[in-house]
Amino acid sequence: MHKRILIVLLLFGIPAFGAPDSQWILEQSTLTYHVSHPLHQSEGVSHAAKGKGVCHSGECDFLIAVAVKSFDSGDSNRDLHMIQVTRGAQFPLVTVRTRLPEAAATSATIHADMEIQFAGQTVQYKQVAFQLVTEGNKTQISGTIPASLTDFKIEPPTLLAMPVKNEIPIRVEMTWRPQ
Amino acid sequence: MWRSTGSHWHSAISNLVVIYVLFTSAQSGTAQTGSGVLTGKVTNASGGTVANATVTATSVDTGQTKTATTAADGTYKFDQLPPGNYRVKLEAAGFMPMEIPSETVSGTETAVLDEKLEAGAQNSGKTQQQENLPNAPSTNATGPTLEDLGISPTQAQGSAQDQARLDKRTHMLKVHQRLGLITLAPLVATFITSANAGGKKESTADRTTHLVLGAVSGDLYFMTAYYALRAPKIPGTETRGPIRLHKAMAWIHVPGMVLTPILGAIAYDQKNKGEKVHGIASAHGPVAIVTGAAFGIAVMSVSFKF
Repeated sequence: MHKRILIVLLLFGIPAFGAPDSQWILEQSTLTYHVSHPLHQSEGVSHAAKGKGVCHSGECDFLIAVAVKSFDSGDSNRDLHMIQVTRGAQFPLVTVRTRLPEAAATSATIHADMEIQFAGQTVQYKQVAFQLVTEGNKTQISGTIPASLTDFKIEPPTLLAMPVKNEIPIRVEMTWRPQ
Repeated sequence: MWRSTGSHWHSAISNLVVIYVLFTSAQSGTAQTGSGVLTGKVTNASGGTVANATVTATSVDTGQTKTATTAADGTYKFDQLPPGNYRVKLEAAGFMPMEIPSETVSGTETAVLDEKLEAGAQNSGKTQQQENLPNAPSTNATGPTLEDLGISPTQAQGSAQDQARLDKRTHMLKVHQRLGLITLAPLVATFITSANAGGKKESTADRTTHLVLGAVSGDLYFMTAYYALRAPKIPGTETRGPIRLHKAMAWIHVPGMVLTPILGAIAYDQKNKGEKVHGIASAHGPVAIVTGAAFGIAVMSVSFKF
């Protein structure tokens, strides 16, 4: 009899132990990269990011993924060139992973350590500042990832023999909600 | 006299107004943006100070760079930094370089960034890189995976073949762009020499110069066009932006570049016979102007942003 109770407890207990405490879903996002050239200032925008956060024991693991080809600069020729230089056909996704304390959702500012996979490279950015605004059950996060072309070993594209600047700051605006 | 004095008086007032505007705008600019201070101390693994380390702060927003060197006590200081986020790089002989991707400098508080450098020469700073990792699902057992986001392994999988097609396209379009710019030079020269080649001018040498320059322009033009036409097409790409104007202009300058030399050859023949250019050949000039203008617009549309 005791064995049966133990088996029942184990059968129901194991899945409950593995289940997350809470989850977050990326509801909407705007990611904007900025490229500077002596003759051009261009921006590419994507609203196609997908993201999820899974919380366990007060720590939340977030994964955000966006297709490289989803960035739109308003110029299809430039977008194709961007995909080419960033090896976007070979590595079609940009993924961002980060771990934050669950309590961070109540802060006005967070500093996130993040791992970004892009263009066949994995780069870790430490202590990137983001601002948080919570309205109802939604949390808006905004900040700038200080990415550069050399971080991802991307050769700077040139126009009229002039290369673009190495810095390609990525502006992040996201709205998350609990699932 | 009065007029002269009045003019000086006017000028002095204008100068004062300009100085006042400059002064007040500079003041309001300072009040709006302020300036911040970034300071810190660089130490080694055992806590000893690192002197003569180079600290470089690059504005993430503007790309402006400032450099400082640590003193004997390992400290450094940046004054008058515009508020914003800065990428800070620390380098010292015998130590691994370190890069902090984002340090916020405000106009009200002093930002402090103390860092510890590790001995060695290999780059293993705060920004670390691993090469050629695919966009694989998370290795963290508790974290979400790409499948959790509704992204299948097929969607995450890249194609080396597609990448090769893009590489070839970019290469051919770069050659197309360079040849197009080179073509502009003989094309402009052809237009300039046209002044002495037609009309009532009888000089055969001028006419021949115009003919040769026109032939060179034509050859370069068709080489340019070849690289655009043969560049691999990327399926499913909707044409947007200035490239639409660039392509639309081709509908004018391609037939124009075929028609212009034909009409030019007829006109050349007529002039050589001592005749006045007549009939269809008289369209050579206007067709050439429209063709040249369309070609110029096509070049400009993808070279500069207005």
